[in-house]
Amino acid sequence: MDRTSGTVTLLLLRAIPHVIIFLSFLVLWEISIILGWIDNIMIPKPTSIAGSIFKLYVTQGIIYEHFFITLCEAVLGFCIGATIALTLATISSLSGVFKRYVIPYAVVLNVTPGIALTPVVIAWFGYGMGSKIALGAIVSFFPIFVNTLTGLTQVDEERDELFRSLRANKYQMFFKMKLPGSLPMVFAGMKIGLTTALIGAIVAEFAQATHGVGVLMSRFSFKLDMASSIATLLSMTLIGLILFYSMEFLDDKTVFWRRENRLTITSRKRKQKWLKANSLKR
Amino acid sequence: MNVMESAAMGVKTRLNVNTIVKGQSVTKTFADGSVVALSGADFEIEKGSFVSLVGPSGCGKSTLLRLISGLIEPSSGSVNVKGENVVGPRDDVGLMFQKATLLEWRTALENVLLPTEVKRKITHDDEKRAYDLLKLVGLEDFVFSFPAQLSGGMQQRVALARLLQTGADILLLDEPFGALDEFTRERLNIELMRIVTEIEATTIFVTHNISEAIFLSDKVVVMTPRPGKIASVVEVPLERPRSPKMQTSVEFNKLVEHVRDLLGEF
Amino acid sequence: MVLGFRAFQGKHTKRIISHALIFIALLICWESASNFGLLDEYLYPKPSGIFHSFWVIYVKNASIWHHLWVTIGLVLLGFVGGSIAGVSLGSLVGFNPTMRRFLQPYIIVIEATPRIAVAPLLIAALGFGIQSKVAIIILVCFFAPFINTLSGVINVGNDKLELFKSLGATKRQILVKLVFPEALPTIMAGERLAMTAALSGALVAEFIQRDQGLGSLILLYSRNLNMSSAFACIFTLTVLGFFIFKGMEILDRRIAFWTYEAGRIQRSNKKARKTLNLLEVGHG
Repeated sequence: MDRTSGTVTLLLLRAIPHVIIFLSFLVLWEISIILGWIDNIMIPKPTSIAGSIFKLYVTQGIIYEHFFITLCEAVLGFCIGATIALTLATISSLSGVFKRYVIPYAVVLNVTPGIALTPVVIAWFGYGMGSKIALGAIVSFFPIFVNTLTGLTQVDEERDELFRSLRANKYQMFFKMKLPGSLPMVFAGMKIGLTTALIGAIVAEFAQATHGVGVLMSRFSFKLDMASSIATLLSMTLIGLILFYSMEFLDDKTVFWRRENRLTITSRKRKQKWLKANSLKR
Repeated sequence: MNVMESAAMGVKTRLNVNTIVKGQSVTKTFADGSVVALSGADFEIEKGSFVSLVGPSGCGKSTLLRLISGLIEPSSGSVNVKGENVVGPRDDVGLMFQKATLLEWRTALENVLLPTEVKRKITHDDEKRAYDLLKLVGLEDFVFSFPAQLSGGMQQRVALARLLQTGADILLLDEPFGALDEFTRERLNIELMRIVTEIEATTIFVTHNISEAIFLSDKVVVMTPRPGKIASVVEVPLERPRSPKMQTSVEFNKLVEHVRDLLGEF
Repeated sequence: MVLGFRAFQGKHTKRIISHALIFIALLICWESASNFGLLDEYLYPKPSGIFHSFWVIYVKNASIWHHLWVTIGLVLLGFVGGSIAGVSLGSLVGFNPTMRRFLQPYIIVIEATPRIAVAPLLIAALGFGIQSKVAIIILVCFFAPFINTLSGVINVGNDKLELFKSLGATKRQILVKLVFPEALPTIMAGERLAMTAALSGALVAEFIQRDQGLGSLILLYSRNLNMSSAFACIFTLTVLGFFIFKGMEILDRRIAFWTYEAGRIQRSNKKARKTLNLLEVGHG
C-alpha cells in the first residue's frame, strides 16, 4: 500500500512543472488572440476550444455516439485484418511453398497505399460502418503480416540446435520455440496495425459517412467552426490513446518476460501454483 | 611409471571392450570442400572416462563434438556410439554449450523439463526429478525464477540440470563455462566432476584452456588446426577426486608443459 | 562452370514461370467469375475491363498523365518539406535533454493522434488549393523523421562517445564523425516511413478537395461506378509505390551502406583498391 502511494506522489510531483508550463502556454495563446497578435479566424482561443469540448461532451453530449462508432470501426477492422494476417503468416512460416506464393501478393498490397482503396471500398460496402471496417482491415493487414512472419521465421541458431539435439519435431519447434519467441514482434506489428486501422476508419469517414468522429471533424471544418474541429481532433487523440494503451496492456500481460516487474509477479505465481499442487499430493 | 612415461604412451590406446564412442578417419568439410574443419580423426573413448578436447581456434574440436552428437554428419569416415553408427541426435547423448540457451519465457524448472516434454507428457514424477536436479546444481531457491533473473553462472547451472534431465550417460560439453569469470568457472568445474562421477557418465569436454583440460580429465586429446586434426592423446594419471591445489603440483605443471609442447607453434 | 550457370538459370526460371502461371490462372478465374455472373459487373471490375481502362486513360485519352504528375509533385514537395523540418527539429531536440524531457508527453499525444486527421482542419484554415494539400503532406511527413532523428541522435553508444572524447575530439568533430553516421540508419528508416506517409497524405488531401490528382480520379471513377478505371488508377499507384519503395531501398543501401552485408563488402573492396593505388604511386 505504501509503495503505491509513494509512486503516485512521485508521478504527481514530476507532472507539476509540465502542468505549469502547459497552462502558461495556454494563457499566452489566449492573450495573443485577445490582443490581436494572432488571427482568430484560423486559430481559435483555448477557451473556445474548452467551450466546444464542454458542449460536445457535457451540454449536448453528441460526441459519445460518434466516438464509440469510430472506436468500434477501428477495433473490428483491426480484428479482421489481424486474424487474416496472423493466419496467413503462420501458414507461411510452416510451409515454404505457401510462403513463396503468398509473398508477391502481400508485397503488392504493401506497396499500394491502402488509403487509395477508400472510394472503391465505399462503393462496395456502402456508406455505413461496413466500409470503414473493411478499409481498417485492409490497411492493418500488412504490418501485422510482415511482423508476424519475420518473428516466426527469424532463426536463433543456438535455440535451433538445442531443439534439434532434443529431437523435437517441426510442430514442437513451432509451439515451444518459434511461437513464444515471435510474440514480441507480433505485438509490435499489432500496435502498428491498430493505429493504422484507426487511420483507415477515419479517412473512410472523411470520404463518405454519417456517423463517426471523422464525419464530425469534416462537418465542423467546413462550417469553419475551428474550435469544435480541434475539440474533435482531441477526441481522436483520446481514441488513439485508448487503443494504444489497450494494446500495451495486452503486450505487457502476454510477453511478460520482457518486463522486470511482470517477471517477478509471474515467478511468484508459478511458485504458488506448484506449492499448492504439491501440498495436495501430500 | 612416472607421469612423463605414461604421457609418452602417445596416440594409440589399447583396444577396449569398454569403448563407448569411437571414430574412424572422421573428416568434415564445409563449403563444398574448401573448408576442412576436421581431417582424418581416429579416436576411442572409454566408458565412464572424462576426456577433454584441447586446441586453438580452428582445430576442429567443436566440429568433432557436434559430429559425436549427431547434429552434423561426417563428410567421410564414421562415428560410432555404443557400437552403432551415429545418424542423428540420440537420447543417450546430451549436449551443453557456451550459451545456456534457456527459453526466457519459462522458469528454471520448466526449462529443465523441456527434454522430457519433447518426448512425452510430463508426469508429476518428472517434475519432482527436475526439482531435485535443480537442487543438485545448487539452485533450490531459484526453481521458479526466469532466466532474466539469473546470473550467467546460474543459467549455466540450469542448462546443466537440463542436460542431466535427459538421462544421457554420454555428456558433450562445448566450453560450457567459458563465458563466466574464473572463480565461478572453477566452482562449476568441481561440481561438474562430482555430478559426473555420481551418475557414472562418460564426459567429453571441449576447451581451449590447457590447465582446465588437465584438471578435469583422465585423457586430454590435443588437436591442432589447418587442417583440424588430432595431434596426440595425453593421459592424466592424477588421482581423483581432483582438488584445486593439485594445479600447483610439479606433476600437474609438467603435464601442462607437455601439452603445450604438443601444440607447438599454434 | 557453364553447366553450373545453366543449372542456376533453370531453377530461377522455373520459379518465375510457376509464379506467372499461377497469376495467369488467377486472372482467368477472376475473369470467368465475372463473366458467369458470380461477380456483379457494375461493382466489381474484371481483368479485361481493367486492361481496357489502362489503354484508354493512358494512351487513347491520355487523361491520367496530368493527374499523375500532380500527385507525384505533391508527394515530393511535401516529403522534402516534412523531412527537412523533421530532421532539423529532431536533431535540435535530440541534442537538448531538457527540451526532450519537456516535450515527451506532447510527443506521446501526437503519436497517438492519427495525424492525417488534421486534413479537414488545414483545408478549412488555409483554404482549398495546393497550399493546404502541401501543408497536409508536410504535417503527415514530419513526425516519422522527427522521432527517428531524435532517437538516432540520442542512441549514440556511450562507449563510442567516450572513445572520441579520449581522442580529444572537438564537439563539432564528434557531431560530424560520430553522431551523424551513427544516427544515419535510423534517420533513413524514418525517411522511408515519411515517403509512405506522404503518398497517403496526398491521396487524402485529394479525396477531400476532389480537384486534381490520382486521389480525386479514383473518387470520381468510383462514384460513377467506373470500377475498371478506378482500379487502373489504383494499380498505377501500386507501380508508383513500388518505384518509391525500391528507390528508397537503393538510397538506403547507398547512404547507410554499412548496415548491409553487400554494401560493406563493396565499400571495403573499393577502399582497398584506392589505398593500393596510392601505395603503388608512392613506390613509383
